[in-house]
Amino acid sequence: MIPWSASIRVHWTTPHPAGLHATAPRTHRIRLWIPLFLVWLLLLPLVLVLFPFVALAGIFVRVNALRLYSAVWSILNSLRHTLVEVHSPAANVRVHLA
Amino acid sequence: MNDDRKSILEMLAAGKITTDEAERLLAALNPKPASSAADAPDAYASPSAPASGKAKSPKYLRVLVEADESTTGLRGGPTTVNVRVPMQLLRAGVRLAGLIPPQAHDQLDQAFSKHGVPITLSQIKPENLEELIDHLGDLTVDVDGKDDNKTRVRVFCE
Repeated sequence: MIPWSASIRVHWTTPHPAGLHATAPRTHRIRLWIPLFLVWLLLLPLVLVLFPFVALAGIFVRVNALRLYSAVWSILNSLRHTLVEVHSPAANVRVHLA
Repeated sequence: MNDDRKSILEMLAAGKITTDEAERLLAALNPKPASSAADAPDAYASPSAPASGKAKSPKYLRVLVEADESTTGLRGGPTTVNVRVPMQLLRAGVRLAGLIPPQAHDQLDQAFSKHGVPITLSQIKPENLEELIDHLGDLTVDVDGKDDNKTRVRVFCE
């Protein structure tokens, strides 16, 4: 199945500028939950409209448009449960496709 | 004591088989269970073998990197990277590679070879990939840093 949602979490700290009041570094957080199924629904009409042009271009470059769409669909289906996490002293990033 | 073990021991006592042969026969009767107690609890420990049945086809490719301050130059602690990629992505990538026209394979192979990557695109086929993925289940790459460098890299499939 294609991923239905993407969760992105980013934490990072910025050191306080020198010369000002001595306070702790500032922490910034971004948490996003993106409903990818809405993105796919929005892109679907565009894909359908572009299909004739892709098919025409495929004739010139000798690529079957249906196979191209099938391969892209396979890639989208295989992205589910992809996880990328990076933790460093200055920042944490987590991207998960569910 | 069951009959099989008894007959093996009788053959050993009669001198019909050697001790090594008897040991192999007894081991075949009683396969060792998979070890689990020695595994460390953290994510960088070696993955234990499945307790029963044959190994399943791996579902994910994992890359774990732990780099200390001396490697990254960042003060405040180690940097860790954890990547999990589904194996289905490899299969989908093979299908994408199959779209390349055969006439372009030679040129692409030469370009890859020129850059030090000896790949033959025409040999990337789904049946070859399945065999590769099955063998990837046994793959574990451990890289430890030298001397005081505590950088660790692990690549494995699960």
